Amino acid sequence: MTANHPLSFSQISSGGPGGDAPPASPSAQAPDRPGPFDKLPGEFMMWVLIVSELLVFGAGLIAFLAVRSTDPAGFSEAQSHLHRTGAGINTIVLVTSGWLAALAVQAAEAGRIARMRTLLAPAAALGIVFLVLKASEYADLAAAGISFETHAFFTFHMLLTGFHAAHVLAGVGLLALVGVLARPRAVETGAAFWHMVDLVWVLLFPVVYLL
Amino acid sequence: MTATRAWMILVGLSALSTLAAASGIAGPWLAVAVLPVAGLKGRVILNHYLHLAQAPEIARGFSLVLGLFIALLIGLAILPSA
Repeated sequence: MTANHPLSFSQISSGGPGGDAPPASPSAQAPDRPGPFDKLPGEFMMWVLIVSELLVFGAGLIAFLAVRSTDPAGFSEAQSHLHRTGAGINTIVLVTSGWLAALAVQAAEAGRIARMRTLLAPAAALGIVFLVLKASEYADLAAAGISFETHAFFTFHMLLTGFHAAHVLAGVGLLALVGVLARPRAVETGAAFWHMVDLVWVLLFPVVYLL
Repeated sequence: MTATRAWMILVGLSALSTLAAASGIAGPWLAVAVLPVAGLKGRVILNHYLHLAQAPEIARGFSLVLGLFIALLIGLAILPSA
């Protein structure tokens, strides 16, 4: 994979080709120097999205642990109602799905479209398995009369895991879309989103389910 | 590193976290055991699935921020027992 995004960071800063930015100063017209983000693999805008999402979830996890420090016994008791085993299985499910997506990118880059689709289909299917396990946890909590308002733990749990599950749902749709488009650049971008979803989960899982 | 080797490392690190949680370790020691493992998993995903290994300077920046984030999480996790 190469860093061949259509606009380099320096082009974006100056309004891009054909943009309506004011004429560049003589120093800015100097021969192109590599910008700080030119080596970034894949789509620049996907990285903007990835960093934004990591900041949002990171802030959520910091807030979760900060509030937990005010009521560790209450958080521990509330955590015992979660499906820890299911969440552990979901970690393997997402990690494996990410692996299949990474192999699909390699297949797309090699022009092996049928193999790419054969890999993306189970990657997306594992995303659905993740959602089914997550839904079963929500259903059991609801059956036990536990809601958003039962305890601060559940407010954070449902916000963080619900927001993440929404990303999994979006990712499944995205993997299906790029599988149909079958363009290497699109597959790479869709897989990057999926890896971001995976990354968020590996950070969220120990904080919400294990500690 | 190949995608398959990265996946094997991620599965191994996930098993390590599960073993630590199932071993009866609790409180601050559990945080000290499982959060760095989560940070390592994050690094594997960033470097080998998101290909930051191709951009070492940027990868170092991400690793630094991720390391500080994990350190902050460990600090907050051990706060109640301090």
